[in-house]
Amino acid sequence: MSVGHVARAIEESGTPTVVVMVEAFGHVAERMSLPRVVLTPHPMGRPFGAAGDIETQREVLDAALDLLDRATDGGTIIDAATSFRPGVAEPRGRPTAH
Amino acid sequence: MTDANRESFEEFRKSFSYGTRNNLDFKFLKSMSDADAADVFERILAGLSTAYDTGDIDPLIRAAVESQIAGYAPKPGTAPAHAYDDAPFSPTPKPANGSVIGLVTSSGHFVDGNDPEPFGIPEMSQAEAVERIDQFLVEAPVLSAIPSHVPSDKLRVRHGGYNIASTLLDPNVCFPVDRLTDAVSDGRIAGVTDTVFSFPGATAQGRLRRELPAWLDRFSEEQADAFLLVPV
Repeated sequence: MSVGHVARAIEESGTPTVVVMVEAFGHVAERMSLPRVVLTPHPMGRPFGAAGDIETQREVLDAALDLLDRATDGGTIIDAATSFRPGVAEPRGRPTAH
Repeated sequence: MTDANRESFEEFRKSFSYGTRNNLDFKFLKSMSDADAADVFERILAGLSTAYDTGDIDPLIRAAVESQIAGYAPKPGTAPAHAYDDAPFSPTPKPANGSVIGLVTSSGHFVDGNDPEPFGIPEMSQAEAVERIDQFLVEAPVLSAIPSHVPSDKLRVRHGGYNIASTLLDPNVCFPVDRLTDAVSDGRIAGVTDTVFSFPGATAQGRLRRELPAWLDRFSEEQADAFLLVPV
């Protein structure tokens, strides 16, 4: 919901937005009439895919960029053609601590 | 076990939401009916049994994801909050491959040395953020500005509303700054803004909205052609 308010505000200010969120929050995207949304069939907290799954993360980003190019009306919601692939042994993203 | 210590199924399912069995991946069990929560356990255990023999955990993962979808679905008879009839729309000024893209996430990332220090508490741990979730939900969020080329050992995350285990392994699961950088290298986009942004999305919605004019001013300094936004 928080990002929904931010997306609407940015879009209303004149800059296009695309939101990537997990399928479980699809009802929020509809209720808040967000401009452009990509829904991913992934567990919460992992909207771009599993840790280290660079291939899926790139596919999700590509779907978002495609939607920026193709959408002609607000409220456009699409499903990403990805699946969640857990168990990638060597995460190659940035490690963090805390 | 005495009757006084006996735990009901309702108490059991609710214990996964900031309770004795806290698991933020399954906190939705709290708001399900006993029957629906029982179905979740039945499906997940069945998926596990299948995986023993086939090694295929896809059905298990799908059962968990579908359980989340059911768990977060609007409950009949509840008034929808923050509902809008109109969908704002600004046309993209140029194709993605000619655009500079900004990033805003509600994942709670920040840079080492620029800790937002919620409630004035320095070096708050993730465990304390979880314990203080009710306080986060009534306070205004703090927006963290993060250089898009932040050194990997300088990125931190804290958020009391979701399981950060995955993003600790790889921030790109919900803070896809490396994937945006890849997209620049691949010619898929023209650039990433110098600064990207994150805040903890578990926050007071009214207070968040009052912060937005200042946030928009900050975002506009980045001169992005479009923004990618990622909630958790």
